[in-house]
Amino acid sequence: MYRLIIRSIFNQNLFLKRYSSNSNNYINVTIIDRDEKLINAKAKIGSNMLDVVLDNKLDIDGFGACEGTLACSTCHVVLDSENYKTLPEPVEEENDMLDLAFGLTPTSRLACQIIVEPRMKDWVFVVPKDVNDQR
Amino acid sequence: MTKHFLRKSQINFYFNRYLHEKSRFENGPNLEYFLKQPKSNDYQGNLILGKGEQRLRIPPWLKTEIPMGENFTKLKNTMSKLNLNTVCVEAKCPNIGECWNGGEDRIATATIMLLGDECTRGCRFCSVKTSRKPSPPDPNEPENTAKAICSWDIDYIVLTSVDRDDLSDQGSSHIAQTISSIKRQKPNLLIECLTPDFRGDKKCIETIVKSNLDVYAHNVETVRELQSHVRDYRANFEQSLNVLIYAKELNPNLITKTSLMLGLGETNEQIRETMRQIRTYANVDCLTLGQYMQPTRRHLKVKEFIRPEVFEELKNYGESIGFLYVASGPLVRSSYRAGEYFIKNILKTKRQKKEAVNV
Repeated sequence: MYRLIIRSIFNQNLFLKRYSSNSNNYINVTIIDRDEKLINAKAKIGSNMLDVVLDNKLDIDGFGACEGTLACSTCHVVLDSENYKTLPEPVEEENDMLDLAFGLTPTSRLACQIIVEPRMKDWVFVVPKDVNDQR
Repeated sequence: MTKHFLRKSQINFYFNRYLHEKSRFENGPNLEYFLKQPKSNDYQGNLILGKGEQRLRIPPWLKTEIPMGENFTKLKNTMSKLNLNTVCVEAKCPNIGECWNGGEDRIATATIMLLGDECTRGCRFCSVKTSRKPSPPDPNEPENTAKAICSWDIDYIVLTSVDRDDLSDQGSSHIAQTISSIKRQKPNLLIECLTPDFRGDKKCIETIVKSNLDVYAHNVETVRELQSHVRDYRANFEQSLNVLIYAKELNPNLITKTSLMLGLGETNEQIRETMRQIRTYANVDCLTLGQYMQPTRRHLKVKEFIRPEVFEELKNYGESIGFLYVASGPLVRSSYRAGEYFIKNILKTKRQKKEAVNV
């Protein structure tokens, strides 16, 4: 009888933990793509923003060409100035690559270097145009 | 016992079906139907990517079969046993089934990629892995490559490599060593090498040219206007052309070759202007034109699927402005076998002329 009670409490605990840890693992962020379309994306905590774009299968082409190795500037994103200030300083290699990015702004970062944290809930990431639109 | 016999109605049905199939077979398509190339005008689908649109569907002239076959498996095993990489696999070439199996003449060939499978650059059209510090080159690779290539029954081979901006000589001596090994073991084998731009370093180009290869290839990839959009930031049009000019300067008998990918958003006029510059300013002998195909989600989308007729027109234009040979078609790639036949002829003629002069 007691075993039944203990087991049911234990199972409930596990169930709650599993349920709550699921919702704790992901946060919602907003990504605005190159055609100015608003996309709601699920960002896994601990991954970087390049992974978020890939995992959500977003249709942004040529994004992350060097697979996050700081050898290109194709995952260039623009943040709000308040959010930008709260991010850790970029390493020298990131700055070198950012200098080559098209449409660089003072609040630009490379998405592959932004690690998702719970406080980034509802942040907006803008993917700027990567070339002068000739059409 | 009665159920073993068919009813009269059933017999009639099967007999009529047999007659119908027989007439279909006799009145069906003949051999000409299968040999005729379908005109691309029949295809009704969208060929130009509009603003905000999803991916374009692949038109029928670009569909290839799933690669399999005896030669294919044999080559795959040879590569993995000798620890060799091929650009065919790493860059997801659609022609892999055809080239590795051997085409009509059943001569299988592959383009071996030297210096590892990790490149230091991240170009937006290429699916080869990128790394800031790839693993050091395998010192046995030149000999293993030479051994593999010399065991195949071929007379023309294309070698290529990844970019190694992290090495002091950018990998040029490794490549030159491979070419020399092959030349030592099989002097009559014609070698074409598709090299990086070595960031314009003339000493590296000299190392490659000194190894006595037959065709020096380096790809400009796209028109001048799209260079920064498509290629890595370390690559540009002038630098690539200068590589080809310098190689020719060092050895005027060398055949130089370059390649363009179409469908990345350039206009027809831009393609023609680029071809003119390659021919007149850089004095390049051979050109290949192919359709860009998006290798993975992370790479640039195809902006336009160029019709086979346009490829044909560009080929005629190229030959009219003086290219020795233009290989042009949607599935043509810079090391695609179709171009080799002609280049082989050019080289044989040159060699015969040289021998005639020496005699």
